[in-house]
Amino acid sequence: MGDKRIELLSTSTERCFDPYLRCALNGAAQTVLGVKGCGTLTHGPQGCEYLVYDAFGHQDCDYTEVETLCTKLCENEIVHGGEDLLAHTILEAKELNIQALFVLTACGPEIVGDDIVSVCRDLQPQVPFKLVPIESAGFKGSEYDGIDIALDVILRKLVKDSKRKISSSVCLIAPHANANPTWMGDLEWVKQILSQMGVQVVATLTYKSTLNEIENVASAETSLLLSHDAGKKAADYLSSEFGVEQICQGIPLPIGMTNTRRWIFDLGKRFEVQGIAKRLVAEGERMVVETYRRKGGYFFEVARFQRTPAAIVADATIGIPLVRFAIEELELKPELIALRSSRPDAREILEREVDDLGISPKIVYGTDVYKTKKSLEEISPEVVFGSNIERHAIEELWTPYIFEVVSPMRRFRVIDKAYFGYNGILNLLEVVQNEFADRWRSKEKRYKARW
Amino acid sequence: MDVRQIAIYGKGGIGKSVIASNISMALHEKGLNVMQVGCDPKRDSTRVLVGGRLIPTVLEKYREEMRIGKDENAISLEDIVFKARNGIYCVESGGPEPGIGCAGRGVLTALQILKDLDAFGKYEIDVAIYDVLGDVVCGGFAMPMRKGYAREIYIVVSGELMALYAANNICKAIKRFAERSGIRMGGIICNSRNVKNEEEVAKEFSERIGSKLVHFIPRDDIVQSAEINRKTVVEYAPKSNQTRVYRDLAGEIIKNKSFDIPTPMEMDELERLMMKFSGEVI
Ligand SMILES: Nc1ncnc2c1ncn2[C@@H]1O[C@H](COP(=O)(O)OP(=O)(O)OP(=O)(O)O)[C@@H](O)[C@H]1O
Ligand code: SF4
Ligand SMILES: [Mg+2]
Repeated sequence: MGDKRIELLSTSTERCFDPYLRCALNGAAQTVLGVKGCGTLTHGPQGCEYLVYDAFGHQDCDYTEVETLCTKLCENEIVHGGEDLLAHTILEAKELNIQALFVLTACGPEIVGDDIVSVCRDLQPQVPFKLVPIESAGFKGSEYDGIDIALDVILRKLVKDSKRKISSSVCLIAPHANANPTWMGDLEWVKQILSQMGVQVVATLTYKSTLNEIENVASAETSLLLSHDAGKKAADYLSSEFGVEQICQGIPLPIGMTNTRRWIFDLGKRFEVQGIAKRLVAEGERMVVETYRRKGGYFFEVARFQRTPAAIVADATIGIPLVRFAIEELELKPELIALRSSRPDAREILEREVDDLGISPKIVYGTDVYKTKKSLEEISPEVVFGSNIERHAIEELWTPYIFEVVSPMRRFRVIDKAYFGYNGILNLLEVVQNEFADRWRSKEKRYKARW
Repeated sequence: MDVRQIAIYGKGGIGKSVIASNISMALHEKGLNVMQVGCDPKRDSTRVLVGGRLIPTVLEKYREEMRIGKDENAISLEDIVFKARNGIYCVESGGPEPGIGCAGRGVLTALQILKDLDAFGKYEIDVAIYDVLGDVVCGGFAMPMRKGYAREIYIVVSGELMALYAANNICKAIKRFAERSGIRMGGIICNSRNVKNEEEVAKEFSERIGSKLVHFIPRDDIVQSAEINRKTVVEYAPKSNQTRVYRDLAGEIIKNKSFDIPTPMEMDELERLMMKFSGEVI
């Protein structure tokens, strides 16, 4: 039996799995840390807690707004179970000035059967804040699965049914499920557009959200999913449970001219503000074109990429809209699209796009670093949209350009830039131009680049 | 001399602890220094060796130390190794309360503590006998073999299908770990349940799995009498036939030099074997 297993392992084509994504605990932490005035208690060993710190950074948390605690499990709790320690820690948190305590689990306690739901139920009467247990063991999947798990519990446990809908209102779902370091800029742009259309944001799930906003999310008329990687389940739950209508469904997020136009028009139609939508699109497009024309001569040297084979290696949130951007704005020819996740709704969108654009690239869903490397070797693109990881992956290949647009990024630090919308287009072109200019810096690259 | 590290496995309730205690006693009579390690949260392995008490467990002690902010370094051998009046060194791993925690990990932790404290060296142990809990139901229960604590494994069976079925499963685990950690199968011990053709079934089963029947132990009420009197059979009735059997078994084990990697059977093969001896038509 042992031999058979070893044999299987060594003959398998998927020999090694080198994930881009962190575990479910990280996604769950990203989600709960987006709620202000609350605490997060990780029931797990201290190594897992590191992923909570990482999420803390991802959500740009403020120490004055969220508290993070950890039970720091050791061998003793794995052997005897850690429920007592968890109970202790929860009771110790009693003094904290928080509205809710989200209790997350790492792998260890879930494997040995710690029942955090019962512990929280038993202790609820003794603490002045809400206890929200989220079973988010890392083995349950990727960070995207963790986001879905946490959103599911948050919605089921906290949302109050609302008979009254706020007209022209929306709840924003999973803006943080975005590997793009510009996700906060993107979210800001979305909010601006909505505000210009007179649409009220009832709650954001989650980014600096208050518990009160989350409790009232059922009063939103619509929901707007801001990720192609996670959050769809939450949107589905809100529509089936509270009749919250999903808008901009089935189309790529607003990156690039066409996607942005289509997305804004969809919003305009739903909220019956077509006039405003038209104006926003016209102004935005004019701004991009004018900037482009003004800077064109010396700043933008683009349009040297016609029909150059390209690869897009990214999360689905950025990767899917980038396909059209690469073709329409840069005249590239995408030959490889490798996405880090594989959600059915996102696959449908991508497949429709690919059909519509008349291309037939190799598509890899749920890619990992190893699969990406293999695919890049196979396709040998001349341009890659990706992250710092792909920058290294192509070192051995004949690939002159790598546009670092998704995390992890090493070349740039991003504070509040967006890739969504019209400034987003310029920001992306900037990345492309910088890389294009960079080719002069290396002799080797100069020869590789077609210029 | 290397410590002989022997593990007794087998289906729950098959008689492992009785066998372990009696061979510990019999080996001690031969002048060997013996340590019996109960690897079971039930902590009842060494009960009759220490006169019917339940000794404190390694994990209990460990937990106590952790509670007062110390670590496993605060544990000393005196806290966890108990020398019975009869001369056997007794240890119980202990484990979590039923329904919580990880017993498998617990057993491993306890064994690791024993190793770190060099229990065998300190007490100059010649033979260590691990009495391991019930079936192999998860990776944790296989830990004593996995990490190479146990070198030779004896599986206790009876002529009943489920006992053989469990033994066969344990063989699968032994086979899996044989290459990695060097553990080997010492043989099968049949503890009679008065089943028809029992010795033959056990013998053929042993051969089919590429091992051997080391000994057949008859069923005898004297085992219960000894148990009630909180003694091993060897101590309670030194001249009885049952004692002779346990002494012989201990002798067989100590002189055993042939160790195998087992070849577990398929379920239907096992069923056919049972039918053959029960006289039923296939
Ligand atoms: N040869 C025998 N004759 C009569 N009774 C026996 C014999 N061997 C064991 N028993 C009885 O069987 C019962 C179970 O034995 P024991 O406790 O040794 O089993 P075990 O395999 O250690 O069980 P567990 O898996 O629960 O630890 C005991 O009450 C014991 O008295
Ligand atoms: S996968 Fe499990 S053990 Fe690893 S960091 Fe995540 S929760 Fe912790
Ligand atoms: Mg026992």
